[in-house]
Amino acid sequence: MKLAVISCIHGNYEALNAVLSDIDAQKADQIYCLGDLVGYGPYPNAVVEMIRSLDIPTCQGCWDEDIVEGLNACECSYPSQLAETRGRLAHEWTNSVIHPEVREYLATLPMTLKLDNLCFVHGSPSSQHEYLLPSMDGFAALERVLSADADVLFCGHTHVPYVRDLEDAALSVNVQQPDQTESPKQFQVALRQIVNVGSVGEPRHGRPNATYVLYDTDTAQVTLREVPYDYAKTCLAILEQGLPPIFAWRLARGMEFAERADDPTHVCER
Amino acid sequence: MASSNITLVAGSPGAGKTTWISQFLTDQSQDLFYLCPGMGRDSVDLVRIGYRFPWVSVIPENQAQTVLAGLPRQAQVYLELGFHLDLASPLLATLPCQRVAVLPPSLNQSEWHDWADEVIPGNDIQDAGRDPLPELWRSPLTGQVFDPPSLDELLIELTGGAYGKVMRLKGIFEMPDGRAFHIDFVQGLPGIEYTELNLPRWLQGRPNRFSGLEVVGHHLEQETISKTLLASCLADDVLAQYQHQYQRLHPDEETKEVFSI
Ligand SMILES: [Zn+2]
Ligand SMILES: [Zn+2]
Repeated sequence: MKLAVISCIHGNYEALNAVLSDIDAQKADQIYCLGDLVGYGPYPNAVVEMIRSLDIPTCQGCWDEDIVEGLNACECSYPSQLAETRGRLAHEWTNSVIHPEVREYLATLPMTLKLDNLCFVHGSPSSQHEYLLPSMDGFAALERVLSADADVLFCGHTHVPYVRDLEDAALSVNVQQPDQTESPKQFQVALRQIVNVGSVGEPRHGRPNATYVLYDTDTAQVTLREVPYDYAKTCLAILEQGLPPIFAWRLARGMEFAERADDPTHVCER
Repeated sequence: MASSNITLVAGSPGAGKTTWISQFLTDQSQDLFYLCPGMGRDSVDLVRIGYRFPWVSVIPENQAQTVLAGLPRQAQVYLELGFHLDLASPLLATLPCQRVAVLPPSLNQSEWHDWADEVIPGNDIQDAGRDPLPELWRSPLTGQVFDPPSLDELLIELTGGAYGKVMRLKGIFEMPDGRAFHIDFVQGLPGIEYTELNLPRWLQGRPNRFSGLEVVGHHLEQETISKTLLASCLADDVLAQYQHQYQRLHPDEETKEVFSI
């Protein structure tokens, strides 16, 4: 079966449409969505309606959670004071335009979704706000995949796609019991994988193109897709809706609007 | 007066006028004077020259006439002319002086060529010409201290054209650890240059010394730049926290700095 996994649409309806067309052309059998339907972009309601109308299984993203629960971004999210101010502005704007039934829908979204040996989360299995950065310590990364009880963990939230193989991890544990000699035990953990699918609506890879991932469940092959779309339309809508104009400038360059994680050792406590 | 040497230096923004002049300001055995007419008292260049070469007499605009009339014998005077200054101004015409133009090597013909006694090849940048004349926007910031990553972000946006086309940007910015930096950007040259200024760390409240930003360009969104600058500055309580933290981590330096301020 061919899966398409998308994440972080952030109210960018143009980008979502382009990605859905590409998924169609690639003949995927099923779409999964890792959340962040809203926030930053000009069309949060329309994006949610589209996802709902297509019945796409979706996890709750950090922005979706914040629109339901109130802003709860971790301090690791903002690289600067300026970014934090902008992030708050975007949250307030989204909060003010979101329809009540959209908010209700976002509240119903689950933290994780499973399909056989695959697990789908927004940030990490423990939090929508935690960043699984590609440079994260290997043992910690493996712990996240094992805690999800999966072979492949799909995540988003960093907005930069990557595939990380956690190969042939050998875990060694020393067991010391009273009146017995120390006995080392070895566990062999088979290949596990973290697949970050990037972002449809607010890419941070230095180009404006949307990214998502195709996954073949039979061959375990991961294909990263980069989809150009008419981002100028979204830029115009950002200006028309009264969102900070700098978001349009940054979208056109594939730069984060406000949040960006850069500390791989940081563990989110929320 | 007749025995003093006056050098007028003109040229396109970013060609390297101040850099060219700076090489002559290291000689402490001479009476050195530096002027930058048209820039008022608080220009980034004026202040920076004062910090780098404390032995140079940096003359603010309103004292220029008096100082030029009573120069000591053997004085060396460097007069840097902003790109927006009229080369045919009567003040410049009456001065007995050497005229130097610092220009991009690719520029072969210009009013600077006609005006200068000597042309010095400067930075290899595109000369944008003076038609239309670019805007010069200045924002004094004395007392403002920046959140360093916010300042980085703002400078990337400014020099990347988010708030209008920027040809030249220079500034002096205060940091929460008490240091001050000179920042320099020339369109066409790679990167943004950060140079720490040789000043005592300011760790007692808001720094009472000049800082500020100067931007040369076209269609500059001045109001948005101002707002973004202020959004990048630290509030009183945050600044106090930083300064307290720094003093706690470097108790020796603290005593030294308190004496030197
Ligand atoms: Zn996101
Ligand atoms: Zn997120």
